[in-house]
Amino acid sequence: MGTSVQVTPLCGVYNENPLSYLVSIDGFNFLVDCGWNDHFDPSFLQPLARVASTIDAVLLSHPDTLHLGALPYAMKQLGLSAPVYSTEPVYRLGLLTMYDQYLSRKQVSEFDLFTLDDIDSAFQNVTRLTYSQNYHLFGKGEGIVIAPHVAGHLLGGTVWKITKDGEDVIYAVDFNHRKERLLNGTVLESFVRPAVLITDAYNALNNQPSRRQRDQEFLDVILKTLRGDGNVLLPVDTAGRVLELMLILEQYWTQHHLNYPIFFLTYVASSTIDYVKSFLEWMSDSIAKSFEHTRDNAFLLKHVTLLISKSELEKVPDGPKIVLASMASLEAGFSHDIFVEWATDAKNLVLFSERGQFATLARMLQADPPPKAVKVTMSKRVPLVGEELAAYEEEQERIKKEEALKASLSKEEEMKASRGSDNKLGDPMVIDTTTPPASSDVAVPHVGGLRDILIDGFVPPSTSVAPMFPFYENSSEWDDFGEVINPEDYVIKDEDMDQATMQVGDDLNGKLDEGAASLIFDTTPSKVISNELTVQVKCMLVYMDFEGRSDGRSIKSILSHVAPLKLVLVHGSAEATEHLKQHCLKHVCPHVYAPQIGETIDVTSDLCAYKVQLSEKLMSNVLFKKLGDYEVAWVDAEVGKTESGSLSLLPLSTPPPSHDTVFVGDIKMADFKQFLASKGIQVEFSGGALRCGEYVTLRKVGDASQKGGGAIIQQIVMEGPLCDEYYKIREYLYSQYYLL
Amino acid sequence: MASTGPSQSLKRPDSSLTRGDQLIITPLGAGNEVGRSCVYMSYKGKTILFDCGIHPAYSGMAALPYFDEIDPSTIDVLLVTHFHLDHAASLPYFLEKTTFKGRVFMTHATKAIYKLLLSDYVKVSKVSVEDMLYDEQDILRSMDKIEVIDFHQTLEVNGIRFWCYTAGHVLGAAMFMVDIAGVRVLYTGDYSREEDRHLRAAEIPQFCPDICIIESTYGVQLHQPRHVREKRFTDVIHSTISQGGRVLIPAYALGRAQELLLILDEYWSNHPELHNFPIYYASPLAKRCMAVYQTYINSMNERIRNQFANSNPFDFKHISPLKSIENFNDVGPSVVMASPGGLQSGLSRQLFDMWCSDKKNACVLPGYVVGGTLAKTIINEPKEVTLMNGLTAPLNMQVHYISFSAHADFAQTSTFLKELMPPNIILVHGEANEMGRLKQKLITQFADCNTKIISPKNCQSVEMYFNSEKMAKTIGRLAEKTPEVGETVSGLLVKKGFTYQIMAPDDLHVFSQLSTANVTQRITIPYTGAFGVIKHRLKQIYESVESLPDEESEVPAFQVHERVTVKHESEKHISLHWTSDPISDMVSDSIVALVLNISLEIPRVVVESEAIKTEEENGKKAEKVIHALLVSLFGDVKLGGNGNLVISVDGNVAHLDKQSGNVESENEGLKERVRVAFQRIQNAVKPIPASVS
Repeated sequence: MGTSVQVTPLCGVYNENPLSYLVSIDGFNFLVDCGWNDHFDPSFLQPLARVASTIDAVLLSHPDTLHLGALPYAMKQLGLSAPVYSTEPVYRLGLLTMYDQYLSRKQVSEFDLFTLDDIDSAFQNVTRLTYSQNYHLFGKGEGIVIAPHVAGHLLGGTVWKITKDGEDVIYAVDFNHRKERLLNGTVLESFVRPAVLITDAYNALNNQPSRRQRDQEFLDVILKTLRGDGNVLLPVDTAGRVLELMLILEQYWTQHHLNYPIFFLTYVASSTIDYVKSFLEWMSDSIAKSFEHTRDNAFLLKHVTLLISKSELEKVPDGPKIVLASMASLEAGFSHDIFVEWATDAKNLVLFSERGQFATLARMLQADPPPKAVKVTMSKRVPLVGEELAAYEEEQERIKKEEALKASLSKEEEMKASRGSDNKLGDPMVIDTTTPPASSDVAVPHVGGLRDILIDGFVPPSTSVAPMFPFYENSSEWDDFGEVINPEDYVIKDEDMDQATMQVGDDLNGKLDEGAASLIFDTTPSKVISNELTVQVKCMLVYMDFEGRSDGRSIKSILSHVAPLKLVLVHGSAEATEHLKQHCLKHVCPHVYAPQIGETIDVTSDLCAYKVQLSEKLMSNVLFKKLGDYEVAWVDAEVGKTESGSLSLLPLSTPPPSHDTVFVGDIKMADFKQFLASKGIQVEFSGGALRCGEYVTLRKVGDASQKGGGAIIQQIVMEGPLCDEYYKIREYLYSQYYLL
Repeated sequence: MASTGPSQSLKRPDSSLTRGDQLIITPLGAGNEVGRSCVYMSYKGKTILFDCGIHPAYSGMAALPYFDEIDPSTIDVLLVTHFHLDHAASLPYFLEKTTFKGRVFMTHATKAIYKLLLSDYVKVSKVSVEDMLYDEQDILRSMDKIEVIDFHQTLEVNGIRFWCYTAGHVLGAAMFMVDIAGVRVLYTGDYSREEDRHLRAAEIPQFCPDICIIESTYGVQLHQPRHVREKRFTDVIHSTISQGGRVLIPAYALGRAQELLLILDEYWSNHPELHNFPIYYASPLAKRCMAVYQTYINSMNERIRNQFANSNPFDFKHISPLKSIENFNDVGPSVVMASPGGLQSGLSRQLFDMWCSDKKNACVLPGYVVGGTLAKTIINEPKEVTLMNGLTAPLNMQVHYISFSAHADFAQTSTFLKELMPPNIILVHGEANEMGRLKQKLITQFADCNTKIISPKNCQSVEMYFNSEKMAKTIGRLAEKTPEVGETVSGLLVKKGFTYQIMAPDDLHVFSQLSTANVTQRITIPYTGAFGVIKHRLKQIYESVESLPDEESEVPAFQVHERVTVKHESEKHISLHWTSDPISDMVSDSIVALVLNISLEIPRVVVESEAIKTEEENGKKAEKVIHALLVSLFGDVKLGGNGNLVISVDGNVAHLDKQSGNVESENEGLKERVRVAFQRIQNAVKPIPASVS
């Protein structure tokens, strides 16, 4: 009788991989989120590729790579062609995020998974909705209503509510119940008893310090570095959490009249802020209020300078500064370059505001203790000149043909290489070195440290909590003479270590950035030169949780408040998923599912329902009693048919049968105590019971704890000798309930 | 709700039998007039007020809508469509000076501009202190009470669901759709179906409303195409300027002015020869509203948003702001746009007074002019006008009326209504004559569609009846099987807002936030007599008195009426045990009474003597009682054959079968009476059976 609901994860269960799930409701297939990660590994999309053509609609929840990164690729290569629904900011900031991803990639590699045009055409299909807009689907999805609701976390972030026949399926991942500077908290708690709730376990094991304390620590560590004449790098996302960070910094800088420059450096920084300025109605009440009163747009940034190329940053005079640069994973983008440049100076600080994606440079650096040195690939796009150019034009055709073949070969090699480097970096052996973490001490002889790092052989990275897919870095580059090799790779490292670090400096002094950026847009033949080098990590590395997700404890309390009839857990490490599953089975509801990739689970509610018309005659005799938002009444009715053939309820012709009396209501002993006290009766708690007057006691047995799908029926025992008081108190007790 | 004048009521065809629920719509302003928009609506105990404006032609209390017609404290929701004074300016008064305690909603852009515009209005309006409706502080306080709603966002307050659509007209203008228990009412406010330089055209709602309250400002007039109007506008200005004249454009500071500035700025950019002639935008709000226009580009059309991607189109290159007349250096030809639009007072009036007697000058009225203002007067080009200082002056300047006011014209109105096909149309916001003509024309147009078109005057109520079908959803255990016709359904009917659910009591906590409870009671009564006595006495009252097996309760115990357990706790006490419900409470009360009675009687009671009577004896005794009672009721009662009783009353005879209770008689009245009497007597003499409750 109920609406049939099936959930099939396509990616991102029992680990922290990108999110992508198939939710089908009465045969209508929703793809909720279409994420990819910063490695852009097509193997993640295998399950999606199989079902892409059957998808009827795509719902996007957040404007970051993990939630929508695969959209252009899926649209172009996998045959996804369904209409996409998202909020305006998710659309706009998502688009900018993808631009930034593409430009960062293109700068350092022959990135060919999708192009800017693919991004544009993918986002052309997006229907933009506002929060709590009930959008009625038509055609195949007739009868389904989708509505985005506030999720917190990111600007425009969405909790999707899909409704059919009065049954709600709610998709809520990465929500944040706390109100922040930028955003209001999620409204997830206002949905009570949905048929199905799909949520993530990402933060189930994390707990956060208070916001005030965290903000203070954040500013303290930044200011300490700046006053120590160091630079601060905040690897950030393109248009997500970075907005909150900017507001924190802006506010603090204004309050304390600080002059240290702050830079926001992404390929799309200025358009991001331009658009964000026009999204005021999606932000927190306080931002909206301040605009209404003073017309101060919170994003008319006074202290943050927007930059879109690295050469602009280089023009800035030396001296302590803060740079917020994309990507948060440090895998590519400006943050990658700046990190390489700054990591070797112990005065500097790299402050991570979110957990790095799995198996990325950021994640390695967040390991405890952090690695002493990391191996990175520096790549640069340079225009072809002279002979090279001629050769290029000549052989362009041939290269194109051969490229496919070569690429597959190189991937294999790359795979080995990258795996190797991962191992070294995550190697627990590093911990064994008696040297303290680099952040605290600089004067460590790095040669010794490095030797340990170079131990080879497969040891799982200490940070890995789940099986991981092989990671291919598309950094292998080709020129006319075959693969570009870095001679240094073939030299015994002990000797050239110092050279390598020096070379970092040399390379970055090059003024090619500006030209390189423009290269992306014109068709001048160019090539990417890359070399691997090892960076000594001497700078301070700090991780602070500014992810803006509800922490484990809050998630649990929200879930038990929402109390869904069925719960599906996705996205989160195996540990976290299992932990939350066990918790929810005990405290939230008996139907908790945590499916594997490709496993279809049926969460069709076993709820029976049918619709009846309430006839006017019946309703005129019904006496409602009001209870909060609800009005309740007991009805006894006879089933009849209306002219249109639907069922209707008519008054009974015979006297109604008796029924057991129902006490409706929920009394809290403490409230009742106050109530009695106000009636002039002496009350006190003693031994778990409420003593009313001299003799009468009230007790609650089988306390209404949350168990197996909400509160069980309250049991209240009233005891006492025969006396006036007994009847008086009983009357008061009854007055707290509605008897039906 | 008092309604003056002949009240127009109408019923839907299907509600002719049962009247259904009454829906009342009363314009408190803007009924057969333009200005002070305010429409009151009430249905099923829910009350909504649309808009809250003032009449620009009046001042002080006279400008307010007829608020005294209603009780402000009963209003649940107040919806404001856009920021124009005639739609929003009495809001601070209504929020701060009346008993209103409901909630107010408007769109984000409206709220931001509302504050700017009203603060300016308070400063500019030159009225005496006692005539002031509110001050700056009231506006600030009202800001805290106003909540925002985004286009298409659905909100629900007290069971009233509402959302809004883009209305065109001005930035942030909205049309509100209200849904109360399935009856939908659309209030258009001011709307325009034509896309212009920066605004989107009004949307057509996807649902057909039951009632459409629509503006009729332009009645049956038709607008010239936009480009023609723009050309006339620029031509007039161009020729006046080139002939050395000055152009005055009186316009409301915000809203349409931005559109005109966009036109002028573009025209100047395309005509370098005009670059020497200044354009002034004389409004203190000019600069301040810029931030608002920049921020809410998402409420504007694609064209301006694409422009915005490159540069801010509201950053005018040829237009300079003008703070007041003191800063104005009137040396040569110029174009000045000044507020207010009606030339009532303020800068536009000051300039008008200066320029009106020179025939080289021109005044372009770009918007709708409200009756009662000077602008309305000069449209008819009188020979003379009265200046602000009371003197009269000849009106020599040319007056052009080119409307850019973004109200729907007849073509737009009629296509809009044709798309929607609402069964009821209520016209507001239009002058009586225009409205009358529109009404006639619409009536002919919708002649064959059974559409009611009404144009109520201020305070004149329109009553309608809607028989909204109430649908309930039966869920949970109760719905395991869909019942057949004729079966009964019993359960809890739970109403939230206007949605109904029927469920079993056990499911209540599953489908709602309500929970159910059981109250168990235990009462101890001092009693020193024999336990058996109580049981014996109870047996006379209740048919079901069952001893409970000893092992279960250690002490002697029995259960009365299958509900209340009586236990012999000790020599001195007995206890009663039951789960609360009205019947059990009653049974327990009777037991308590009985026990107390026995306690009193104890010295006199000899248990043995009354103890054991045979079933037979009991039966005989009962029969005697029945007979005696029947005699006392009917008089002549004789024993007939087969244990029947023959009862004769006034010649009518009834035969009563004592076993089955069947009565036979030719007189229906007697038959019924005997039957009832016998039933009651039987109930009285026999113990109460457990099945009766």
